[in-house]
Amino acid sequence: MSQLKNITGVEALIDSLLEEHIDTIFGYPGGQVLPIYDGLYKVSDRLTHVLARHEQGAVHAAQGYARATGKVGVCIATSGPGATNLITGITDAMIDSTPLVCITGQVPAGLLGSDAFQEADIISMTMPVTKWNFQVTSAAEIPTAIAKAFYIAKSGRPGPVLIDITKNAQVETTDFEYVPCTGIRSYIVKPPLNTDLTGLAVDMINRAERPLIVFGQGVKLSGAESLLIDFAEKGNIPMASTLMGLSCVPSDHPLYMGMLGMHGNVAPNVLTQEADVLIAIGMRFSDRVTGDLKTYAKQAKVIHIDIDPSEINKNVRVQVGIHADVSDALNEMIPGLVRAGREEWFAKFRQKFEEEYGSVIERDVEPTGEALTMGEVVRNIARRVDGRAVVVTDVGQQQMIAARYSYFRSTRSFITSGGLGTMGYGLPAAVGAKVGVPDRQVVLYTGDGGFQMTLQEMGTMMQYGIGVKIVVLNNEFLGMVRQWQQLFFGRRYSHTEMKNPDFVGIARAYGIPGRRVQTREELEAAIGEMFADDGAYLLEVAVEKEGNVFPMVPAGASISDLLFNE
Amino acid sequence: MENKEYIISVFSENQTGVLNRITAVFLRRKINIESLKVSETSIKGISMFTIVASTTEETVGHVVRHIEKIVDVIRAEYQTADEMITQEIALYKIDSSILKNGKLDLVTRKYNARIVEANREYTVVEMTGYRKETEAFRDELEELGLLMQYTRSGTVALHRDSMEETLNGLRSSAGE
Repeated sequence: MSQLKNITGVEALIDSLLEEHIDTIFGYPGGQVLPIYDGLYKVSDRLTHVLARHEQGAVHAAQGYARATGKVGVCIATSGPGATNLITGITDAMIDSTPLVCITGQVPAGLLGSDAFQEADIISMTMPVTKWNFQVTSAAEIPTAIAKAFYIAKSGRPGPVLIDITKNAQVETTDFEYVPCTGIRSYIVKPPLNTDLTGLAVDMINRAERPLIVFGQGVKLSGAESLLIDFAEKGNIPMASTLMGLSCVPSDHPLYMGMLGMHGNVAPNVLTQEADVLIAIGMRFSDRVTGDLKTYAKQAKVIHIDIDPSEINKNVRVQVGIHADVSDALNEMIPGLVRAGREEWFAKFRQKFEEEYGSVIERDVEPTGEALTMGEVVRNIARRVDGRAVVVTDVGQQQMIAARYSYFRSTRSFITSGGLGTMGYGLPAAVGAKVGVPDRQVVLYTGDGGFQMTLQEMGTMMQYGIGVKIVVLNNEFLGMVRQWQQLFFGRRYSHTEMKNPDFVGIARAYGIPGRRVQTREELEAAIGEMFADDGAYLLEVAVEKEGNVFPMVPAGASISDLLFNE
Repeated sequence: MENKEYIISVFSENQTGVLNRITAVFLRRKINIESLKVSETSIKGISMFTIVASTTEETVGHVVRHIEKIVDVIRAEYQTADEMITQEIALYKIDSSILKNGKLDLVTRKYNARIVEANREYTVVEMTGYRKETEAFRDELEELGLLMQYTRSGTVALHRDSMEETLNGLRSSAGE
């Protein structure tokens, strides 16, 4: 706890950030944050500020940083348009439970409501998409507001917080005392564990013949990765991940059965419909995971562990709902689990995997046709980085292919916009991830569509020497939308074909070396060149124009009703 | 599932913006709020919201759990009207001819309303009761052609049980 007399609001803000051990922030200056930027100038030795090229880039970078490091991501924007440009990222962080503290400038308190230059009511606008937000109108409020902001962003089910600071509060003086927030009486962070319910769940699992664990990002957020593995091993239970849960469990773990959902693996999707006990851990039964709820896992008894009580019985009716931190629940349950053989059950997973390999995977990763596939590019790179890279994706076909064919060895190695599906998320999130974990390889998969939404962030990479490996999988289409048009709209490709610029040329203009690859022969060499040093690189691969992602559960269909081809 | 009228009670910290956060939970699901009342509870700094809305039991359950997620909200719950003690207050501006035309009994005896103000032109009376009672009085005045203006409060509600414990818990955490 530190105390200072008569300092400015900006000094109080910066000291508060330092008290929270923040060393990196992403942002973009402007009129109503000029005093804050003046303050940042003076502490540049202790607080690194990364200048994005657009506020959306700053907030996505803060998200990528948070997801890669497990720390709170911080971003700053000015009032009005600066603040409104953050909204997509804030919404994305809300639905994907990413801890963020966003600081926006605001017109002086005396001008609030006067339609002053660059005034926007950002508190009202971000109310439904923040976990908490607060407008600071005097310097004295700053330390408490910042302490509360960090506490709320990272505790419980994490999420974004926005603090709007009027200009007068930045410049006036106050006495400063920093007391970290350790609790808010109206806000329960760690629910007490109901051991009757965990006991019931353990009995249910021990009696199960065909149990299946379906886990999500809640495992990462709780830091329960190794507990999850212990849990599965103790009971000899197969487990499958949601998109957001990827990399919690190493891809080669013998009990790991792949990814769930619309473009997930056949075995866990189909066998969800045969499991007798479904154990859902830190996941929220998104419609992309369940397909048609009326037919989802009707035969199964469902156990659901989640820290957010509003998730329990929200989409899927459960027999045992355990409102708890995943680590607490697993810790309590592991000792009671009894190992069972389940040979037949595991054989079914193997058989379904063989089916998927024969019908989809082989043609994706070892294609015999002339055109390059997204699958072979991803698999090739996955082998090269040996599952050690942080894989960041944009949204669309490349996202699903990257999720399907990447390997992971350690947690927090897959960063994607899961719930909101934000095109343009990829590049800035990769920038933030690389800033957060500079010693790890960061590979971005993006498409020709999404890349063009935020490619200006190559400027940020150039300025700070951020060594993201950008892989543009270019099919000259908004591929996923085109796939739906092909399958469900009679091949009427309405406004999805794109005439694209010279991506390698654009990268070169930003000082980033790169190469465009059109043949299998060139691919290997180009990947070698990309990983030859630690610097940034752009690899553009011209892939099959009308390639599709399979298997696919059409929207609204049952999760076991998979499409395997056109 | 059929729509039914529910009373949602929310206890929260008295903070700017909580009201917007609560109403946003309804707006997001396109549920119309029929009445809404906010006031301080017997504990300083804690507000109680009483919200009346029609929806299904499943939806009202989701709504309440989402309201409870709001950082400043201490507790939220829902009840049907008969599970709570509810009253509303209504004010009626009536043509003062009622004082002479022999219908005053309607006010004083039948509905047990209280005269708040009277002059040559109009008489204002106040009535407290269930909504169906205040509305019945309104309908009768309207039929007689005497009603000039009418307004009523939202539902004011108290729980038949269970809240004392919560409130006492809050009282001690508030240091009272």
